[in-house]
Amino acid sequence: MKTPKQKKYGLATVLGLIVILTGWNAYSEKSGVVQTIKNAAAPFDNGSVESVPPAPEDTVLAQVRYQGGVFRVETRKDKVKRFQCSQCHNNQPVAIANAVETAHGDITLNHGYKVKQLACFTCHDKDNRDVLITEKGTKVDMDHSYQLCGQCHFRQKKDWIGGAHGKRVSWWAGERVVKNCASCHDPHAPRFEKRWPKTYSRPFTE
Amino acid sequence: MGFLKNKSCRQQITDEHRPCQDSGRREFLKKAVKAAAIGGTAVVTGCQAPGLLGSKEEFALQFQEYFKAHYRLMTEKERDATINRLERLAKLQKNVDVQISSKEAMPGVLFGYGFNVTRCEGYMECVSACVRENNLDRKSNTQYIRIFEMEPGQMTPDAGKGKFFNEVPVDGRFYMGAQCNHCDNAPCIKACPTKATYKEPDGIVVVDYDWCIGCRYCMAACPYYGRRFNWNEPVVPVKEITKKQHYLGNRQRRRGQMEKCTFCVQRTREGRLPACAEACPTGARIFGNLLDPKSEIRFVLENKKVFRWKEELGTDPKFWYFID
Repeated sequence: MKTPKQKKYGLATVLGLIVILTGWNAYSEKSGVVQTIKNAAAPFDNGSVESVPPAPEDTVLAQVRYQGGVFRVETRKDKVKRFQCSQCHNNQPVAIANAVETAHGDITLNHGYKVKQLACFTCHDKDNRDVLITEKGTKVDMDHSYQLCGQCHFRQKKDWIGGAHGKRVSWWAGERVVKNCASCHDPHAPRFEKRWPKTYSRPFTE
Repeated sequence: MGFLKNKSCRQQITDEHRPCQDSGRREFLKKAVKAAAIGGTAVVTGCQAPGLLGSKEEFALQFQEYFKAHYRLMTEKERDATINRLERLAKLQKNVDVQISSKEAMPGVLFGYGFNVTRCEGYMECVSACVRENNLDRKSNTQYIRIFEMEPGQMTPDAGKGKFFNEVPVDGRFYMGAQCNHCDNAPCIKACPTKATYKEPDGIVVVDYDWCIGCRYCMAACPYYGRRFNWNEPVVPVKEITKKQHYLGNRQRRRGQMEKCTFCVQRTREGRLPACAEACPTGARIFGNLLDPKSEIRFVLENKKVFRWKEELGTDPKFWYFID
């Protein structure tokens, strides 16, 4: 059996707790950058930044959508030396100088490291060397190689479309222009190599 | 010959007086003091350009610089005047044509930064780009960004190895960058006795270098080791000076002034990425507008595992680390 005094104390404690929790709740909601971000739902017009130039010419519209909008990727075909590939790969005999290099002897294939090394025709189309081919047999334009890379690296592709993987080209404002997979990774050996840092850091204390 | 010298002296003085057409007590005082100062230098240097204190024009410009207001209190006219003076001083002292901007924050923009701990490989390209972009002192090797080589399990850069210089990335280690976190509730702003450091509307914490008295309270207050002090007159090779500058950003600092990362205010207000984010070869650095639900930084905050350094201090940084 509770005495009236105990009841009174219990009631006071409960009331006090409610006051403290409501106050804390109200306080935490009103302040902080996280709350500011949560409240910001209106889209920002990236085109309103006047100093941003139009997208560079060596970009194409991506075939995937980004958070409801379109974006551009860097092209690849104009950066591949000796494109079109069908200039040589056309079932005709070709006589050329430096044949070892020109016939891709300079390519070191190191993709699928330790697990399953990839071969040329895992990605390149046997019948039409100008395009790439997925495991399902879909032909992929070289400018849109993310469609091909994304069949294994689907997590990276998802992040890349959203913006957590890869990087934008020079401008945070304006039309979204991002680097293509092969802009940063060598598709034949995609892992970044070990090298010396460009400079060294200063420690906190000397 | 003496006559000629005198004539050129007079000519220069009248030329200097011409731009100041405002009247008022302050302007009058400025003119009077300046005239006295010029007289003084003329005596010291015998009216020969450039003397011990530089040419007369340089001296006059520097003298006027002492009497300017805090950047936030300046009218647009005053801002233009000080920018003109600074640009002219750069021309006189180093013979470089700098362009100093006073561009305001864009409405609807709050800058935020994401750092991918998994992707960073410690190549230090960002540090190098930052030094070049922000005209950092080469003599004392000032750097805004520090990269730490971390053992698995370490969660704060304090524990990491900041002095690494070996082939990177080392297997089994990860890399973590530290720079100004641009806190929403910044302790450095509270510590500053002259209000020289403050938060701009787009969330960038900046320093009005000319109002900094060099007390270094902010340096002590900053839990992220984000501030750098000019112990000596900064030395930047004239060829390497970044000419596109901002009053609150990478313009020339002096000895005894505090400086810090400004998210490259001279670039980001134009819509460009900061130099570090542009230089990063691995795409570990994400920069964008936190108020834009379609921005990349918002995607990172909503879809990745993010954390902030020393969040428990309540500084509310706008710099998030995340992992893949």
